Amino acid sequence: MHVIVVYDTAAKRNPKILRTCRKYLHHVQRSVFEGQLSEAQLRRFQAAVETVLDLTYDNVLVYTFPPGTTPVRHEWGATKPAPTDIL
Amino acid sequence: MPAATRTYWLTSPCRIRRKDESLVIERDAAPSVHIPVTDVRDIVACAETDLNTSVVSLLNRHRISVHLLSYYGDYAGSLLTADTSTSGETVLAQAALARDPQASMAIARSIVDACAFNVRRVIDRKLLARPYTVLQESIREATTPLHLMGAEGTFRRSAWEVIDTKLPDWLQLNGRSRRPPKNAGNAFISYVNGIIYARVLTAVRLTPLHSGIAFLHSSMERQRHSLVLDLAEMFKPLFAERLLLRMASRNQLKHHHFDRDTNQAMLSDTGRKLVVQTVRDELAVTVTHRALGRPVAYDELLYLDALALTRHCLEGTLYKPFRIWW
Repeated sequence: MHVIVVYDTAAKRNPKILRTCRKYLHHVQRSVFEGQLSEAQLRRFQAAVETVLDLTYDNVLVYTFPPGTTPVRHEWGATKPAPTDIL
Repeated sequence: MPAATRTYWLTSPCRIRRKDESLVIERDAAPSVHIPVTDVRDIVACAETDLNTSVVSLLNRHRISVHLLSYYGDYAGSLLTADTSTSGETVLAQAALARDPQASMAIARSIVDACAFNVRRVIDRKLLARPYTVLQESIREATTPLHLMGAEGTFRRSAWEVIDTKLPDWLQLNGRSRRPPKNAGNAFISYVNGIIYARVLTAVRLTPLHSGIAFLHSSMERQRHSLVLDLAEMFKPLFAERLLLRMASRNQLKHHHFDRDTNQAMLSDTGRKLVVQTVRDELAVTVTHRALGRPVAYDELLYLDALALTRHCLEGTLYKPFRIWW
């Protein structure tokens, strides 16, 4: 399923979160990640993120979209190329 | 095949690096890209690629194979993961079939027949009707794989001639040529065939079959996955010939997609990108599978065919090579 992850963490933990997210998802903005995950991968991802987070301070949002659908994406400003599998 | 992972296609010269337990693709022409390892099923490198030990060990841990295509677009080799779904029982059964001349000839016959069927279906049913009946006759009479391949060659030659009548002048094949391809059309076909070979190899690696024990092609050749050659045979027309005809008739292929010298041709960088994109999209196209009763992507067809052969080896279920049924 399509997943969008947004995080808001204390500055000193940012790099750790970033690294964990990069293993599973495409980096689309400073604290925004996007990609396709299976149910199992999502659970594994959540477990991995939880070990890094301070749950009393940090906050992570995970948006999931029903399987087979992709959200429409509009972009403004200096754009990075959208995640693709042809490089 | 796992659903949530994808094949990554590298179309420009690049270096794969490991960073933070994940992958970074560095390129000269474009900014480097992080790709999540968990999202990668395998990598097809269509351009020069550098990688090192630390990347290989990461790829190995995630069971990701890398397929390499050479400068001219033919298959150059693969980095296969050490860990496969091995099963001695299957390999023994497969070897027993390959040893039995009658059983292996039956499989080889059906492969050649299915391949020709697909070629005819893709190129022209009417014009190839006669060569196809001739081929079927020679298949029945053939006693060795060599005879079969000879008969197939004859059929293929008529097919190449028919396909030329449907292509614009500059894309015509004028007979098949390889290593290096002589003209644009041949370059296209070689390139797509290379990709399909790599895809079939991935599919075979998902089954316990031994990729070196073949039925039609010679098992004895070293350093070649002969079984993959066998299985790729039926799928080449579905992609190579079919896409060539389609892209030619839609005017998608242009002169600048090829670099051509006097006696050889290859895809240019833009051409390579276009072809890879087209094949990638084509692999994702689905058709309803009659036995499974659900939509199946072309990519999965390769895997299903490899599975069918596994069952033939283990359980004796009759193996019917892939035929275009739609």
